[in-house]
Amino acid sequence: METLDYKGVQETLYREVLDNGLEVIVLPKEGFQKTYATFATKYGSVDNKFAVGNDEPVRVPDGIAHFLEHKMFEEPTGDIFATFASQGASANAFTSFDRTVYLFSATEQIPANLETLIDFVQHPYFTDQNVDKEKGIIAQEINMYKDNPDWRVYFGLIDAMYHNHPIHIDIAGTVESIYQIDKETLYRCYETFYHPSNMLLFVVGGVKAEEVFELVRNNQARKTFKPQGEIKRFFEQEPESVKNPRKVTKLPVSLPKVMFGFKEKKTGLTGDALLLHEVTSKLMLDALFGASSALYQDLYEQNLISDSFGTEFNVSTDYAFSVIGGDTPNPDELLGRIRTAVEEALRTGIEPAAFERSKRKKIGGYLRMLNSPEAIAGEFTRYRFRDSDMFDLLSLYEKCTLEQVNDRLREHFDFNQLAISIVEKPDEQPVS
Amino acid sequence: MTLFERGQIGRIRLHVMPTKRFKTFAISLFAGLPLSENAVTKTALAPFVLRRGTVSLPETKAFREKLDDLYGAGFGFDVYKRGDSQIVQFRMDVINDHFVSSDVPLLSSSLRFLGEVVTEPVTEDGVFRCKYVDAEKQTLTKRLESIVNDKIRYAAERCMEEMCADEPYRLHPLGKLDEISSITPESLYSQYQQWLREAAFDLYVVGDTTMEEVAALAKEAFRIEEGTPASYSVPSMRHEVRNVKTVVERMDVNQGKLNLGLRTNVGYGDEDYAASLMYNGILGGYPHSKLFLNVREKESLAYYAASRLDGHKGLLTIQSGIEIANYEKAVTIIKEQLESMRQGQLTDLEMNQTKAMIANHLRELQDSAYEMIAYDFNAVLSGKERTAQQLLDKIEAVTEEDIVRVAQLAQLDTIYFLRDQKEA
Repeated sequence: METLDYKGVQETLYREVLDNGLEVIVLPKEGFQKTYATFATKYGSVDNKFAVGNDEPVRVPDGIAHFLEHKMFEEPTGDIFATFASQGASANAFTSFDRTVYLFSATEQIPANLETLIDFVQHPYFTDQNVDKEKGIIAQEINMYKDNPDWRVYFGLIDAMYHNHPIHIDIAGTVESIYQIDKETLYRCYETFYHPSNMLLFVVGGVKAEEVFELVRNNQARKTFKPQGEIKRFFEQEPESVKNPRKVTKLPVSLPKVMFGFKEKKTGLTGDALLLHEVTSKLMLDALFGASSALYQDLYEQNLISDSFGTEFNVSTDYAFSVIGGDTPNPDELLGRIRTAVEEALRTGIEPAAFERSKRKKIGGYLRMLNSPEAIAGEFTRYRFRDSDMFDLLSLYEKCTLEQVNDRLREHFDFNQLAISIVEKPDEQPVS
Repeated sequence: MTLFERGQIGRIRLHVMPTKRFKTFAISLFAGLPLSENAVTKTALAPFVLRRGTVSLPETKAFREKLDDLYGAGFGFDVYKRGDSQIVQFRMDVINDHFVSSDVPLLSSSLRFLGEVVTEPVTEDGVFRCKYVDAEKQTLTKRLESIVNDKIRYAAERCMEEMCADEPYRLHPLGKLDEISSITPESLYSQYQQWLREAAFDLYVVGDTTMEEVAALAKEAFRIEEGTPASYSVPSMRHEVRNVKTVVERMDVNQGKLNLGLRTNVGYGDEDYAASLMYNGILGGYPHSKLFLNVREKESLAYYAASRLDGHKGLLTIQSGIEIANYEKAVTIIKEQLESMRQGQLTDLEMNQTKAMIANHLRELQDSAYEMIAYDFNAVLSGKERTAQQLLDKIEAVTEEDIVRVAQLAQLDTIYFLRDQKEA
C-alpha cells in the first residue's frame, strides 16, 4: 500500500495494485457519512474494434459498451438494484467515450456494498432472452436523446468534426445497431475489457484505507482470472480536416442552438503533457469567453448570447477539440463576432489581468470540486485512464504562465479546423 | 449530527452551521412571498436585474470580475415555488481562505457582495437602470420560451399547470410571458421595494465560522429595514378530486411523455409525512420500485418510469417516456400499481429496501452543505421542526397499514400526454 500526501489540498490517498492487475485507490474523508465507490473499466463507446494479444481484430456493433453496462445489472438471482437497495445503497452506472463506470453511494453496510459492487461487475450473466428484453428499453433511451436539443447540438458538432474516429458515433448506438447485439458478442467484449488489469476501483468517504484493501484483496483472492495479453484498439486513420464544416439539425426549439468547435490537428499526448494541454486550453477559453470577458458582456448586451453561453475543452490522447456556444437568435452573426475577437486576440495576446482572473477562478473551482466525493472519484478515474493525476491540477494552474496560454491560443485557433453545429426549428413551425 | 444555530438581524433570520468538513463557505439567502398573479413576473425578473450591478460595482463586467477575484466564487440564483410561495434563492460558494493566499477575507467579502446585490442595486433616477431591465426582460423571455426545448421538463410543468388550473400553484415560478413587455424600470423597482419590505428572508452559512461572526458580518452586509422576520403560510393539503382530467398535447416529438399527477392530501408537517415518503418510494422513487420494475423491467415500455413527491404542496407526480402507441398500455400498468398499493400488496422486501434507501438519503445529506441547507429550510417553510434524525426514526416506524392509509388518501387528478403530430 502506497501513501500519497497532497498537502496543498489536505488530502491523503492510498494506492495498491493487486496481483491480478486491479488498481485500488482509497481516499478517506474525515467526518463524512457516506462512502462513494466507483468500479471503472477503461472501455467506452469508442472501443469498437479491438484485439487481445495476437488475435484477429473484431469490429463490434455501435452502442455495445453501453448495452453491456445495462446488462451487467442482471444476475441469475434477479436485478442487482434490489440487493443494493436492501443494503441501503444507491447504485448506478454510466458509459462515456472512453470508460464505463459502476458506482454506489451508501452510509451503512459498506463492506457488503463493496462486495456487491465488485462481485456483480465481475459476474456477467447474459441470456438470449434477457439480451432481447433490453433492446426495447435502450431503444426508448435512444429516442429520449433524439428529442433532446442540447444533446443533439453537441453530438452534431462531434459528427461534423470527425470522419472516422468512433467518437462521432452516439454512445448508445442506434436503434438499428443495438438490434444486432447478441450474447456472444457481449461476452467477448466483457472478457476483453473487464479483466482486472484494465480496471480501477476508487473508494472515497468515511472509510479506513486498510479495511478497504483487506476486503478487496480477499475478494479478489477468491476468484481466478486468466492472465491477459495487451488490449489493442484499432482506429481508422483520422484526417486532419473537419468532415462537415456546418451541420444543421431540425428540432422544435425556441431559439437556435449553436456550437462552434476547433478540431486539434496535433494529438497523441499522454500523462503530464496531456494535462498541461488541457489546463492551458481551458484557461485560454475562459480568459477569452468567460462571463467577465469584454466579449461576453458585449455579446450579451447585444442579445446575441444568453446565460447558456459557455465553452468546453474535450481532450484525450487521440482526439481534442474546443466547444463554444449556446442559444442565439443569429448563429452567423455570433460566429462573425467570435471570429473578430479571436483574430484580435491572436494579434495582441490575452490581457494579463484577464489571465490572472481566469487562473484564480479555475483554482477556486478546482478546490470547490474537492468537496464532492462523486466529483473526486469521477475526475480521478477519468484522468488516471489517461495516465494523468488529477491532484497535479492545482500546481499546474498555479504555475501556468501567460506565455504558455498565448502559445496555446496561437496553436488552437485555425479557422480551417472550424466546424459548426446548429439545431433550429423546422421551417414550418408546428409548435402550438 | 451537527445542527444549525439560530439568530436574527432585523428582518433576516440567520442559520449558521460551524463545521470544518468543507473546503468552502456555503451561503444561501432565501426570500419568499406568496405566489400571486400580480407579482409573480416582477418577482421573478428582479433577481435577473440585481445580478447586473450594484452601487459599488455598477458595470456588469466589473461585477463579474469581482467574483473571479474572490477565487471564482460561485454565485447564482434560482426562482422556484414551494407550497404556495414563490421563492428566490441566492447562492454563494467561496473557498475557505485557508487553502489560498488571498489578499481579502473571503467570507466577509462574499457576504458583503451578496448584501449589496440584494439591498443596494445600481439605480438611475431612483429606479433600476433601464439598460439592465431591458436586457433582462429579454433573458427572462428566452428562459420561459425555452422550457419547450426540454420535453421531459415541459411535460412535467404542463401536467402541473393543468392539474392546478384553479390555484396560484399553476403559475410558473418565472412568471407570465405576456406580462414581461409591460414591465418598466419604475414598476419593477417598486415591486422590488415591496419585496424587500415583505418577503421572508433566511440567510444560511455553512463552514468554518461562528454565529457571532456571521451576525456581525450580515449586519454590515445587508442594508435592510428594521423589523421582525416574515413567516410562510402553509397551504391547505385537502383537495377533493371529482373527475380525472386527461390532456393530450401534440408536438414534433419522437418519444411520448406520459405524466400523471396525484393529490396526496398529506403535507410536510403532517404525522403521515414519513408514510407518504415510503408510499412514493415503493411506488416509484427507486430502481427497485413498482413503476421501474413493471413499466420498464417487465414490459420494456420505457427507459425511465418514476414518481416524485412534493410534500409542501401534497402532490405526487409520475413521469415516463414511452413509445407513443403504448399509451393505453402504460396508463393501465401505472394505474394497476396505484391500485395494488391501495390493496396493500406490499412485501417485506419492498418495505425494507425503501426504508434503507430513504435512511441512506437522510444520512447522506450531511455530506453536502447545500443539501443540509435545503433540508433545514423545509422546517422554515412548513413551520414543522424535524431533524433528519427524527424523520429517519419516523421512517423506521412506518408500517404497512400506514402506507395503505396514505395510498387510499391519494387521488389521481390529471393524466397528461405529450405525443407526436400523427393521427392515431
